[in-house]
Amino acid sequence: MAVIGIESSAHTFGVGIIENGKVLANVKSMYKIGNKGMIPIEVSEHHIQNAGSTIKLALETARIKARDLEGVGYTKGPGLGPCLQVGQLSAKTLAHRLKIPIVPVNHGVAHVEITKHTQKMKDPLALYVSGGNSQILVLDENTRKYKIMGETFDMGIGNAIDNLARSLGLEHAWGSDVERLAKEGSYIEMPYTVKGMDFSFTGLLTNAVKKLETEKKEDVCYSFQETAFSMLCEATERGLLLSNKNELCACGGVAQNTKLAKMLEEVASENGARFARAPNEFNADNGAMIALVAENNIKNKKYEKLENCDIKQKYRIDEVVVYE
Amino acid sequence: MNKLKGAEAIIEVVKLYNKKVIVKTRNEKKYRIKSLDEKLRSFRTRREARIILKLNNSNVKTPNVLALGKYTIIMSFVEGKLMRDLPEKEEFMKPIGDEVKKMHLSGIIHGDLTPANIIINENIPFIIDFGLAEITNNLEEKAIDLLLFKRSVKKKSFDIFLSSYLEKNPDGKKVISKLKDVELRGRYNVRTLT
Repeated sequence: MAVIGIESSAHTFGVGIIENGKVLANVKSMYKIGNKGMIPIEVSEHHIQNAGSTIKLALETARIKARDLEGVGYTKGPGLGPCLQVGQLSAKTLAHRLKIPIVPVNHGVAHVEITKHTQKMKDPLALYVSGGNSQILVLDENTRKYKIMGETFDMGIGNAIDNLARSLGLEHAWGSDVERLAKEGSYIEMPYTVKGMDFSFTGLLTNAVKKLETEKKEDVCYSFQETAFSMLCEATERGLLLSNKNELCACGGVAQNTKLAKMLEEVASENGARFARAPNEFNADNGAMIALVAENNIKNKKYEKLENCDIKQKYRIDEVVVYE
Repeated sequence: MNKLKGAEAIIEVVKLYNKKVIVKTRNEKKYRIKSLDEKLRSFRTRREARIILKLNNSNVKTPNVLALGKYTIIMSFVEGKLMRDLPEKEEFMKPIGDEVKKMHLSGIIHGDLTPANIIINENIPFIIDFGLAEITNNLEEKAIDLLLFKRSVKKKSFDIFLSSYLEKNPDGKKVISKLKDVELRGRYNVRTLT
């Protein structure tokens, strides 16, 4: 069964094709973020201009014809409204024209599921870290929904890192710039906020941005990263012990950060758990993960009527039943 | 139980001149850089000891601090059983409500108030583990303590607990109205941990 997945929750318009769990294509068109962050309407314009060609490219890469598709999935949320709409419309068009089942997918669920799938994990504790989200998740066996054990009180870690990157005044501001600069820095004190398994990044960000006026930017980046990641690790370790899991995975955009991965590896081995993260193409926003969840749902005959296919900007991960 | 590993600390039961004591050590976290790690561990150790001393002064039943190191607290051992491991009895609830009231009135919130952190010794409750506790008079934090407890006991038990918590408690009504707020809001960061 070949299923196509369309992801458009933020700056990436991604299209993936999956057949029985095997990734046939995973292509994307990315809106170029300058130094002013994401302006939703500009990003959605980009998606509109590139939707058709990206879908075509995915089909070519997978070497299949549109009429061979047996299902379509799209990101229902969470994400930016105007951006989500482009993916939703593309998916509905495909479903209508090809008369195939359509599945609205939760973005966070897709990140965790693709990680479990590619890393062959059964029942991990997941640290989901991206621009908009930072959550510690476990799957509840009875309800088959993800339970949020801990999460950020305010902004996602990725958003905080990108904010810092923009404050550095770089032309193309990405979290990876912060990671690069951090390699040369040394530690200065910054506020550290963990409460049980929850954490907060706004105070740390304000402090770091302020320190840019007086301190070396390498030092600020290094200390910001060390502090923020230590917070995540502490909360994760507490979750690991409370949930008694022996697998730990990281997923979402910030899971691409090698420093964070190294620290989580340490947390896992200290507690007798296996750590893994998916290859970067699946941690960045991508269509394959949406296709994967859509395929699992279709196999379980769980799809949506075309007229019920909506979007939801604040779509919580713990609302969704997960199928295998 | 001789040695117990928590997320933050290792708890050991040790015999000192024929007396059982608890040694709680905040062990090194290798994922953190050393200076941050040492700062956090020593700050939290000191904070926890200060909180327990403050509670002792307010006559809240907790273990006593016998000695304090940079990363280690030696505490008196409290006999009895964890409330979590006992059948839930309504007669526990009145004295627990009293202890929590005294704790909150002395400006301390527990941070993880569940039956896993209450020891019952001959029907007398002792509150333990102040690793997540804070010195604050924030009503919402107090309400969250109550909410965590509410979620881990039966409704009737909680009602008995609450009536003794409210008795002669000048802040009581304000905390309860905050509790209703928090419940209505469905604040996501409040979860039962056990």
